[in-house]
Amino acid sequence: MKNNMLSKYIFNGRNAVIAVPYLWLLILFLFPFLIVLKISFAEPIIAIPPFSSFFHWDGSFWPTIQASFYNYVFILEDSLYLNAYLSSLKIALISTLITLVIGYAIAYSITKAPTRWKGLLLLMVILPFWTSFLIRVYAWIGILKTEGLLNLMLLSLGITDQPLTIMNTNLAVYIGIVYSYLPFMILPIYANIEKMDGSLIEAAADLGCRPFKTFWKITIPLSIPGILAGCFLVFIPAVGEFVIPDLLGGTETLMIGKVLWIEFFSNRDWPLASAVAVILLAMLILPIMYYQKSQEKAIS
Amino acid sequence: MNEIESETTKLSSDKPYIQFQNVSKKFGNFTAINDLTLDIFNNEFFSLLGPSGCGKTTLLRMLAGFEKPTNGRILLEGEDISNIPPHLRPINMMFQSYALFPHMTVEKNIAFGLKQDKLPSNKINQRVDEMLELVELTEFSKRKPNQLSGGQRQRVALARSLAKRPKLLLLDEPLGALDKRLREQTQFELMNIQEKLGITFIIVTHDQEEAMTVSSRIGVMDSGNVIQVSTPNNLYEAPATKSVAEFIGNVNLFEGVYKGFDDIGTKLKCEHSESIVYSSQSIDAKNGSKIWLAVRPEKLEIFKSPPDYKYNILKGTIIDIGYGGSFSTYHVKLPNGNMISVIRANRERTSEKSITWNDEVYLHWSSKSAVVLTE
Repeated sequence: MKNNMLSKYIFNGRNAVIAVPYLWLLILFLFPFLIVLKISFAEPIIAIPPFSSFFHWDGSFWPTIQASFYNYVFILEDSLYLNAYLSSLKIALISTLITLVIGYAIAYSITKAPTRWKGLLLLMVILPFWTSFLIRVYAWIGILKTEGLLNLMLLSLGITDQPLTIMNTNLAVYIGIVYSYLPFMILPIYANIEKMDGSLIEAAADLGCRPFKTFWKITIPLSIPGILAGCFLVFIPAVGEFVIPDLLGGTETLMIGKVLWIEFFSNRDWPLASAVAVILLAMLILPIMYYQKSQEKAIS
Repeated sequence: MNEIESETTKLSSDKPYIQFQNVSKKFGNFTAINDLTLDIFNNEFFSLLGPSGCGKTTLLRMLAGFEKPTNGRILLEGEDISNIPPHLRPINMMFQSYALFPHMTVEKNIAFGLKQDKLPSNKINQRVDEMLELVELTEFSKRKPNQLSGGQRQRVALARSLAKRPKLLLLDEPLGALDKRLREQTQFELMNIQEKLGITFIIVTHDQEEAMTVSSRIGVMDSGNVIQVSTPNNLYEAPATKSVAEFIGNVNLFEGVYKGFDDIGTKLKCEHSESIVYSSQSIDAKNGSKIWLAVRPEKLEIFKSPPDYKYNILKGTIIDIGYGGSFSTYHVKLPNGNMISVIRANRERTSEKSITWNDEVYLHWSSKSAVVLTE
């Protein structure tokens, strides 16, 4: 009897199929996250691994737990961390907005391109993915540095008589983030506009609406699901971005990803680095949940 | 024939409201509309009828302004509108997919066109209420399109396209997405609304029954051209060509040779009958030239023994009977293998001498109910 129940409710095909992604998330996301969470409550020590242990077995069946909120208090008290978080959010937000404007324009123009060009244009959007992300960011150094391609071109064309200082500034970071994340903005917006019923645009024109107004009143409102998807896909990873600010940014660039790297590798303070990561996740969980909800709404 | 003709000429004596003058439309190498000339009159309920790909939708889209004619002109009240963009035309269209704005309520959808005209808001509200009442959707005004049934969406689309009081309303397969019963009911609603508002309606449809029911005139189209424009009645009873006869309703066609005209009518020698068959209609044809005789299935009479007529009698065998409740369709095989269909009303509940499978039967038609065609 009990066996029957088991096979009926647990081992049926439907559950088995659902179990695969859940298992994946459990092993590769939730479990590592719990480890990070555990480390964030520890104290740094000089040992391998470099943190105090969480569980203590002192003969009884249940272990005692040794947790310290010191790292969290430290982060909240030191304005460096708060500034790094805020600066990361600001850089991510501004980059997302720039990416949105450029990405929307590109996505929109691809949908308006002749059908035989669409495949090629989309291929060009995703083509950079075939090269390593790191190499592409390195390539920007060659373009943006004082004696780089951009300055060479501007000087030889006589547009400027002094080389521009772009490299190692926040501007270089914005350029790097916008460039790197642009495909993540273009693809969801393209998919959204492409499936939009073209007769809606015709209907608006038929009812006396000018083309530009139709774009604002019909096309933009109906592409909000695509815009939201693109913005979250850019904003969430951009907040924690490390490679771009590290390679292109300068001393003025303060981003939490870089702080995290310094705590982890330079200071070897794993517990503090873990706490930084946990707070970052807590900050992003709200937009992630909002994104989830908007996706569910878009599906229904 | 003559009285039907006079009805058409009476209409033609008015000044045309819409004129297509030698209009052609090419998409690359494909010719969608080929040198088409057509007049449509004020207050008409005009149907463009034809199989898919015949160019009827292209014609409608040219009126709305979504396509420009490659050649020729389109006039509305004598004014050339060929190059006016859609948002400046006093013409509205009801789309096949309805094209309701999904992010707006029913009310906002209907008000959309009025807002573009920058009408004062009390005027807009008044017109929206009027339209909601017209299509009986007042209590649904705050709903979004996805919260409505197919029939309700269709009515919102109609209200939205009528809200601006266009000079001309275009309807692209307006009832195609509705089920049969709702479609029939809506056909009459459309006719009432058209009559009430006095706006010229042009409807595109591939459903000949729908076209016959709603329209005052029908233009039958095929491969980019109008083959015949006439009243529903005239199209059915006096088709100009074989293809019109076949497209509008069912028809039995007999191929034969023209043998002149006498006091009974046009004489025709058919391959499946030794005697001459007649149609009272006269045509302009040469002796011995190939012509066709068309008889509608319901105009054939069916007998179990040879009837008392002198001509227009065919002998055959019942192959199939389709019982349709109010009528039955008989498929009769002629000695040469041709199949003829006959429709008879079932006037009695049971008939003892009813016709059944494999019976030898005689068919007869009156020479007045047969049409002769040259092409």
